[in-house]
Amino acid sequence: METSGRRPRVAALALAVGVVLADSSIVVLALPEIYRELDTSVAGVTWVLISFNLVMALAAVPAALLARRVGPGRAAAVGLAVFAGAGLACGLADELSTLIAARCVQAVGGALAVTAALELLPATVGSERRAATVWAAAGATGAALGPALGGLLTELVSWQSIFLIQVPVSLAAAVPILAVAKHEAATGIIEPELRATGRPHLWANLALAMVSASIAAALFLLVLLLIEGWRLSPIEAALVVSVMPLAAILSGKLGDLVPDARSRAAAGAILVSGGLAGLAFLPKATILLTIPPQILVGIGLALVLSALTETALGGRAPQAIHGGWTISSRHAGVVIGLLILTPIFTADIDQQRDQAIEAGTAVILDSPVNPLLKLDLAERVSEQLETEKGKVPTIEPAFEPKPTDPAQRAEVEQLQGELQDQLDRGATHAFSTSFLLAALLGLIALFPIALSRRVDL
Amino acid sequence: MSGERKLGGTALIVAAIAASLLLVGAYLAAGGSSYEPKQVQDPCQPRPWSNPETLGQIANQFTISALDGAACQLGVSRETLAQALATPEARERFTKQYGIDDEKLARAIRAGLVRAVDDAEEAGALSPLLAAPLREALQRIPLDQAIEIINDAQGFLGDVEGFLGPASDLLEQLLPGPGLFG
Repeated sequence: METSGRRPRVAALALAVGVVLADSSIVVLALPEIYRELDTSVAGVTWVLISFNLVMALAAVPAALLARRVGPGRAAAVGLAVFAGAGLACGLADELSTLIAARCVQAVGGALAVTAALELLPATVGSERRAATVWAAAGATGAALGPALGGLLTELVSWQSIFLIQVPVSLAAAVPILAVAKHEAATGIIEPELRATGRPHLWANLALAMVSASIAAALFLLVLLLIEGWRLSPIEAALVVSVMPLAAILSGKLGDLVPDARSRAAAGAILVSGGLAGLAFLPKATILLTIPPQILVGIGLALVLSALTETALGGRAPQAIHGGWTISSRHAGVVIGLLILTPIFTADIDQQRDQAIEAGTAVILDSPVNPLLKLDLAERVSEQLETEKGKVPTIEPAFEPKPTDPAQRAEVEQLQGELQDQLDRGATHAFSTSFLLAALLGLIALFPIALSRRVDL
Repeated sequence: MSGERKLGGTALIVAAIAASLLLVGAYLAAGGSSYEPKQVQDPCQPRPWSNPETLGQIANQFTISALDGAACQLGVSRETLAQALATPEARERFTKQYGIDDEKLARAIRAGLVRAVDDAEEAGALSPLLAAPLREALQRIPLDQAIEIINDAQGFLGDVEGFLGPASDLLEQLLPGPGLFG
């Protein structure tokens, strides 16, 4: 293969992998907007996220087999075209069922593109090990960047733009791959026979599933805490959660310093769990305090995802099939994580909301504010709570207009602050159990990591 | 595997454990395990009055005692009852949710108002001369009026003072002791 065409092809393949794997989490910050615009239920809108991951989990290995049968160049090009077409359908969808159906098709195209990319990379970068590293790093970066990008696009343009922008990006990634596809079509060079693929690396894939459940929970829960709990806008939440991918990208080289993949995977899983435990014990509802845990999760995910993917692929052939197994494990982990944690934190949010409102009422009752003003405030807060039934409420409107008398105004402002503090405590505490469970999943992954052993080619 | 590699791997794991423990330890030390909404007090437990001086402060304490007493009777928190009495719609939702009829609610609120009079008297904020007839009167008032007293205790106590004040002055001259409000 000529050297001049290698660099754009590596970039294109990494872009393809990044775009597809970002899609598993990119929609997280747009869910509240989709929920409102498509007039659906919370459970329904969650399937926009789950459907993609579920189909990816199911389609990854068959897609890899197909890629080997028809040729990876053609498979990657077709996969990216299907992914782009389905992305267009997602962006134009005006019903939830259409959106979910298009997401499923997107996942099929994505699975084909990602597994075929892994088959193409060794010839492009020179070795299977290097190919696995590039592929895993592109996937981890895409998955980590997804929520931040989704939040920015939702706020700046619309939720539809998340999908529409994938169309030109996927097609751009497909262009350098078309040359390989044309070459395959012209020469008919396809693997003459399907080699025995060997069993997938059970422990590495199991660990990948557990760690992915943990990481998905970290992204999903943090985004929900910021938007639904602390009432941040999608763009503000996007900026906050961008700490995680930044830490992942900046610490990418850290893995190179430690050649032992098992140690890297273990350290990564510990850091992900440590970061999640930090989020479970936030001592105050302050954005700044989410940064150290995010840094730990970011460094952890960069270490663990790449190490486990390398372990799962190392010494096994063909790469696409075993890459398919890693994709399948990761997305199955995301689905399992969401299915386990969604009912838990949904129930916790309701419980903590009621407890926070009760505590807030106690604050109003015990405050030194004039009883008549207190009565008026209590009525306004009560009406506000009714207006925002089912959510963590915004209380500012209930305190407007403020009294003109400076002394009364100061008392009312203090009362508002104390009431907000109780609501913030409730919103933050509502996520604690889920963050802890997610941390536990990360720690449990240490068992399969301890049993995993990479086989060098 | 070389010794250098092993050392690198172990060092990375130790660093990861240390960083995680440091973060979690720091957050726990800063109060991370107790950052949750404050627990509300059992309304059946006594809640001492905090030396009220003005009519507004007395009314505030009176309302709180009345809510505590009524909530204790109904087996709900003071805060839940306060929310329920804020608007007629909230009251309807509350009675439906807890399966309480108007008669039961009225009995509970009257009991609460009597407890408020008891607490006020005990705190020295209400003259015993006034407490006895007030208790008698409050045990007979209709539900809507009882709710109105809870919602506007200041107005109620102001009316009581305006109505019985001159009589109290006369009684004080005959029977020296505390005035209407302490």
